[in-house]
Amino acid sequence: MNALPKPEVHEQPLYFRHQKVYPREVSGRYARLRTLSVWVLLGIFYLLPWLQWGDRQAVLFDLPARKFFILGLVFWPQDFIFLTWLLIIAALALFFFTAIGGRLWCGYACPQTVWTEAFLWMEQLAEGDRPARMKLDRAPWDARKLARKTLKQVLWVSFALWTGFTFVGFFTPIRALAGEIATLSMGGWEVFWVLFYGFATYGNAGYLREQVCKYMCPYARFQGAMFDRDTLVITYDTERGEPRGARRRGVEPLAKQGDCVDCTWCVQVCPTGIDIRDGLQIDCIACAACIDACDTVMDKVGSPRGLIRYTTQNALEHKPTRVLRPRVILYGALLTSLIGGFVAAVALRSPVSLDVLRDRNTMYRLTDDGNVDNVYTVRILNKSEHERVFVLEASGSSPLTLLPAGREYRVPEGAIYSLPIRVRRAAYDPESQAVLGPETITFTLRAADDADTSVDTEARFLAPIK
Amino acid sequence: MSPPATERPDLGAAARAAGIVLWSAFLAAAVATMLCFAFLDPAALSNGEAPGWWTSRLRVYAVGFFFFWLVCLLAAGLSWYLGQPAGPRRSQ
Repeated sequence: MNALPKPEVHEQPLYFRHQKVYPREVSGRYARLRTLSVWVLLGIFYLLPWLQWGDRQAVLFDLPARKFFILGLVFWPQDFIFLTWLLIIAALALFFFTAIGGRLWCGYACPQTVWTEAFLWMEQLAEGDRPARMKLDRAPWDARKLARKTLKQVLWVSFALWTGFTFVGFFTPIRALAGEIATLSMGGWEVFWVLFYGFATYGNAGYLREQVCKYMCPYARFQGAMFDRDTLVITYDTERGEPRGARRRGVEPLAKQGDCVDCTWCVQVCPTGIDIRDGLQIDCIACAACIDACDTVMDKVGSPRGLIRYTTQNALEHKPTRVLRPRVILYGALLTSLIGGFVAAVALRSPVSLDVLRDRNTMYRLTDDGNVDNVYTVRILNKSEHERVFVLEASGSSPLTLLPAGREYRVPEGAIYSLPIRVRRAAYDPESQAVLGPETITFTLRAADDADTSVDTEARFLAPIK
Repeated sequence: MSPPATERPDLGAAARAAGIVLWSAFLAAAVATMLCFAFLDPAALSNGEAPGWWTSRLRVYAVGFFFFWLVCLLAAGLSWYLGQPAGPRRSQ
């Protein structure tokens, strides 16, 4: 057996002295795509809470009232399963897209990327481009530096506070919140969460940036497990690029010289400060800034684009790339069935729910005429979007009477109706005089206007044993 | 305050460990808070025996979150501490 060549290991400590990264701005196809993504995602985030649905906020996770409003739907704590389901769908979607497209999430959609991009734009606006920023940081403090740094901080802090305010606006009605801010009458916790989230945005997008991806993000650590040789990655074409070296515009490369002109633009634009030419690295968030930078340079020197490009390990080795692989098919099938099931379950969700709680203070009460009374608290929850009238029935092994009897319960949309109810039953069988004893009874709640809308709940009916 | 030229000060191993412990405990506490209050309604539990600070749902949520954070901090901190290789025994 031939001895394998010793693999080259780039050892570096997990934590080392942090070099500040000054990403150079870049233009090109993928930069445009990311800009679009930033505008769309931030637009959704900042505008969504202001959208009205009827006379309420369209999207509101009303924690104080324990109701989630999403457009026409109202979710209750009883619907928690849907939230769990949604999170599983989100996780599986992440696996699916990672298996096909690599770290697409990191490069275009992750809030960390999106807000960092926005903070970088503000930084560029205040301090200028990469060389200017580096120079400014090295320069001694003077009026000009103070003015630029102050401008940046003012932009950052206002944007962060607005972000915190918007964030809280998803959990408490944003229009009321804006009114409270205008009159300086906000609640303590609201102020706290606005500042908390604002500070988190400021710190993460302004200062921590790529360190969040490197050290804090769990996804960055395990995403490699979803990769295979057919996953789209951003790679430098070593075969074509090496040996690298400078050359003049329009001058044919020397024999044996590769296409890489070693301009280091790919390194300068990288938000995580890596050199893509060293190979695929865990630090790479697949933002494609290096592709845009390299394509620009290749256009200038007159070489074909794509020295750095989206490709797969197989394609680089001149092997066919397959999109449909077992893992992609598996993730896709699971994802489709989960989404289908979710949509069906939400659509078929019962518009009403019924809770019955036994009165804890008394087990039962015997009446003078030989009956047993049990007392319950009945909670009717109308999840639909209009007022409904309900009738309540109870059934068991022998006839039961509800007190008050034959009542109709008018429950407004999205409201909980809580009422005490007494269930009466004979203690003895009227014919055999045998003791009837305790049993499990069924409460049925029916909508008066729609026979199909009904819900059952069981409860224990207690009675003397002898 | 003089700005860092191109390098920021090294925080040191202790600060980094603290960061990891705080952050992982934060994530776990967020999940715990969500799960806990999805099933328990603070308002339904506020009978006469509730403590004095048990005044509004939002307040209970917030206190609950910080309580969970504290407990998760304990677990994460202990994991970190016990995961450290024990130093050489000094028998002298």
